[in-house]
Amino acid sequence: MTTFHAPPLAASVMTEYYRQYLAVAVFVGAALVMVGAMLGVGALLRPKRPQPEKYITYESGSDPFGTFGQQNVRYYVYALLFVIFDVETVFVFPWAVNADHSGLGWFGFGEIAVFVLILVAGLGYLWRKGLLSWA
Amino acid sequence: MTLVAGLFDISTQHYFVVGALLFTIGAVGLLVRKNTIVMFMCVELMLNAVNLTFVAFSKALDDAAGQAAVFFTLIVAAAEVAVGLAIIVAIFRRRQGVTADDIDLLKG
Amino acid sequence: MILGVAASLVAHNPRIDWFGIAPEGTLVATAVAVLLLDLVMPRRDSWQTSRLASVGVLVSLGFVVALYERHGGTTPMFGGAYVVDNYAIALKGFFLVVAYVTILLAVDYIGEGDYYQGEFYFLLLTSVLGMTVMTSARDLITIFVALETISIPTYVLAGYRKHDRRSNEAALKYYLIGAISSAFMLYGMSLIYGVTNSTLLSDISDKVGQTGHGKVLAVAIFLSLIGFAFKVSAVPFHWWAPDTYEGAPTPVTAFLSVASKAGGFVAMLNIIFFGFSNRSNVWWVVAWLLAILSMTLGNLTALRQTNIVRMLAYSSIAQGGFMLVPFAAYGIARDHGHLSVAQTSFQAVVIYLLIYGAMNLGAFGCVIAVARRTRSADIEGYGGLFTTSPALTVCLSMFLASLTGIPPLAGWFAKFVMFRSAIDAGGWAGTSLAIVAGVNSVIAAYYYLNVVRTMWFKAPATEAGPVQVPSALGFSIALCTVLVLAIGVYPQLVGHIGDLAAKAASVATGS
Repeated sequence: MTTFHAPPLAASVMTEYYRQYLAVAVFVGAALVMVGAMLGVGALLRPKRPQPEKYITYESGSDPFGTFGQQNVRYYVYALLFVIFDVETVFVFPWAVNADHSGLGWFGFGEIAVFVLILVAGLGYLWRKGLLSWA
Repeated sequence: MTLVAGLFDISTQHYFVVGALLFTIGAVGLLVRKNTIVMFMCVELMLNAVNLTFVAFSKALDDAAGQAAVFFTLIVAAAEVAVGLAIIVAIFRRRQGVTADDIDLLKG
Repeated sequence: MILGVAASLVAHNPRIDWFGIAPEGTLVATAVAVLLLDLVMPRRDSWQTSRLASVGVLVSLGFVVALYERHGGTTPMFGGAYVVDNYAIALKGFFLVVAYVTILLAVDYIGEGDYYQGEFYFLLLTSVLGMTVMTSARDLITIFVALETISIPTYVLAGYRKHDRRSNEAALKYYLIGAISSAFMLYGMSLIYGVTNSTLLSDISDKVGQTGHGKVLAVAIFLSLIGFAFKVSAVPFHWWAPDTYEGAPTPVTAFLSVASKAGGFVAMLNIIFFGFSNRSNVWWVVAWLLAILSMTLGNLTALRQTNIVRMLAYSSIAQGGFMLVPFAAYGIARDHGHLSVAQTSFQAVVIYLLIYGAMNLGAFGCVIAVARRTRSADIEGYGGLFTTSPALTVCLSMFLASLTGIPPLAGWFAKFVMFRSAIDAGGWAGTSLAIVAGVNSVIAAYYYLNVVRTMWFKAPATEAGPVQVPSALGFSIALCTVLVLAIGVYPQLVGHIGDLAAKAASVATGS
């Protein structure tokens, strides 16, 4: 059985261990300065003309409706599209990293091409059925 | 020090226990919850317990087949969710509610 | 350029028997083509997709026949995960014929209602693709993927009457049960993989024969069997089936009760005969219980039904119980050390599946035809059918008599091989199976023949003209009639297929 041990905690190792966090501290500091500077300079330079439309919740470009928490059910199609193409990479990725030296050559390319083309046919179907436009 | 080190000794067996627990939680959740979406989530929990078990075995046996199995489980879970949500939306449009007990037009 | 690509294909590819996977390739191409054709067709022409789908199925069937003629023996691919042997070829042929008949059953139903047409055939073809892959699957992952390819399109098909709440409900119940069963099955598979360090059934068969890991293996096998029991709607995992069958469009119900169920049984055949043979002491009790419960409860509940679709649903649960008998018989015999029963029980399952397919599809064809006139599926509505449509009545009577098991119709041969496997198994367990199956055949006769009696002797409930049977539907009913008669009179027709399948299987299991 494989076991994962905690790092040994001798005193000299401890200081080395904490020193590695210094880099993190530097990054945190730099990030704070950057964000503060950008927002601060923006606040100083931009004109300030408040309008009610500017305070509407952003909902993918369409007018929001209802109260918080009730999503339009049509969003699920986009979530699904994302999931499907996201999961597709699970298959394409292992092939892509091994494409050079796996010896699969054109055969592997052909297989993955068939796989992707079937998915493209599905995407074409969605497009033609108007699921990609917000009607 | 030994106490701390002992706490961090995680063997593959622990993963199987976590997997079994997750699977049981999912199965019990299916029985006690009535909201269809929560039931979906319970099924997902069960599938992820399976994934965890596969990966742990894959690591313990030093064999890649278990990881390949996880790929396919993921894909199938995604496809199942796609179909399941579509069915729920179809039902929701007709009756405004997704409680399993209300879906009883057909009595088995 | 093309030659160069082809040459490098030959040089680098893993050994793939392209001819062996031609039926599946054809189905994939047809499914995609149907989907795309539906996009470019104007809506009034979209019935053309049914034509394309049936041509694709027939071409695929042609490849299967050619494969049978090849006599190439078994061709293992992908490291033994995918095998095209005579058993696989026989069942591929069966599934493709079922698909063709289902398309014929559905074409008018789908065409006349306000349904999406191309998508229907696309989903149907995808599901059939899963079935043909399943026949060749000899690996846990392949079995799983094939089973899901069978199931996921059928969830959508069950809910195809989108604006009917009962169809929605059918889809949801079927979906939930399918998802739960695959979760159980997968958990069992993950444990099996952990114990045996392989997903190949041949390796698993060797490993489970060795001692050790008794409890984990028992749990693993039990969990996978529960998963399959859901899929084949064996009691006590059957409650979804009548609701789903009633709510789904009737052609889909026919497909579910024949093809989808057979897909589950093929998966069970693969995993039990090729994988778990050497641990029969674990699973024979489960199979025995499932068989006895399914036969008895299925039949007793079918007695009380007034809706013919629900009656056929419960009857298909009972028929599933009959199909589980040879599984239990095999396990019992194996436990006693009678290895020869492996052949007869394997044969029995295959033969029962083939015959059940023909007679159940035929019965559903008749139900669809009658429902065109009466718009309902009440058994009362079948009163006086003989006076208005005699030909249809004769056909439906034949299918029901065949389901009962009356010679000289195909059903008796299915029952005969089933009984033979139980009696060959011997012992108290085998004998009790045979007795329960016998009693149940008598109970089943009552409700099947009750419908026949209603059709022939009851007065018609309403004044109605003869049933108009469209040509496609009529052709599919005629095809099933011919099959049921031919197999009944000349049982060697399927007996030969069963022999081939069992021989191929014995090569694989080495028993």
